[in-house]
Amino acid sequence: MHYFSQTFNYDHSWARVIIGMWHKYPNPHCSHVVTVDVVDRSVDPRTGVIRTERILGCKQRTPVWIVKLFGGSEDAFVREISFIDPSTQTATISSVNLTLSQFATCNEMIHYSPAPDGRTAFHQTAEIETRVAMWRSAADKLEGWLATRFEQNAQLGKVGFTDVLRQLWEDAKEQKPAHAGA
Amino acid sequence: MAHSLTSECTPLKLEYDSCFNSWFEGYLEPAVSAASSAEQRAKYSREKAQEYEQKCGKIWAAYRDCVQKAVKEKGLDDLLDQARRDNPLKEPPTTTISSSSSS
Repeated sequence: MHYFSQTFNYDHSWARVIIGMWHKYPNPHCSHVVTVDVVDRSVDPRTGVIRTERILGCKQRTPVWIVKLFGGSEDAFVREISFIDPSTQTATISSVNLTLSQFATCNEMIHYSPAPDGRTAFHQTAEIETRVAMWRSAADKLEGWLATRFEQNAQLGKVGFTDVLRQLWEDAKEQKPAHAGA
Repeated sequence: MAHSLTSECTPLKLEYDSCFNSWFEGYLEPAVSAASSAEQRAKYSREKAQEYEQKCGKIWAAYRDCVQKAVKEKGLDDLLDQARRDNPLKEPPTTTISSSSSS
């Protein structure tokens, strides 16, 4: 199993980051995400929690050996479920791959919460695991490839979202505008 | 805003997304500060859920029908059903976040 985790702060308030979430794509830094669809959404009239289920469609070059061994194509789909709870200022986003899910799972969890000085803490973990009863070296290779790609996309996601937040809020005369890149 | 799975759904998706976003942008910050009392919060949530339904209910229904068909066309319905069975996620997951505030 491969495990990935990163934590950092965005220089925007929690509410601004969460509003920005829906503006993340399309994103020149994350051009692999080509479609985003809401397939289910509810606003809880009692708690105010918003649950959203989305399908993200990605297109990225896939090595020939993956296509040969596991089938599939450049198109990959991800199911993402987010919960936004304004009362506790928490947002959790869980994602899992739909494509190649019979061979491997990539479970990602993101958590946004308020941080000191009007910033927002971002915490991301991912577990990448091949399913049992697979030819061992193929499983290891697949897992390694998925992990590498995940880490690359996670970095692009960070840069991309930082840009989106800056563009979204730079006219809002925020006290501490975010700076792109790190 | 990103495209939909199929080009037929994209116009509906864009209309729905802008409806949701404009509602959400008015919703979120007051919702954060409405924490003063449980009754106040409940009242705000109820009103806002109603407002969302009134403003975006129709376009959501149209978009949802379109995207449900698209999910089927792309052969994603079985994968989605399987993922929903594996992990319905009807409630927020209990996160085990190592708090950074203590450091």
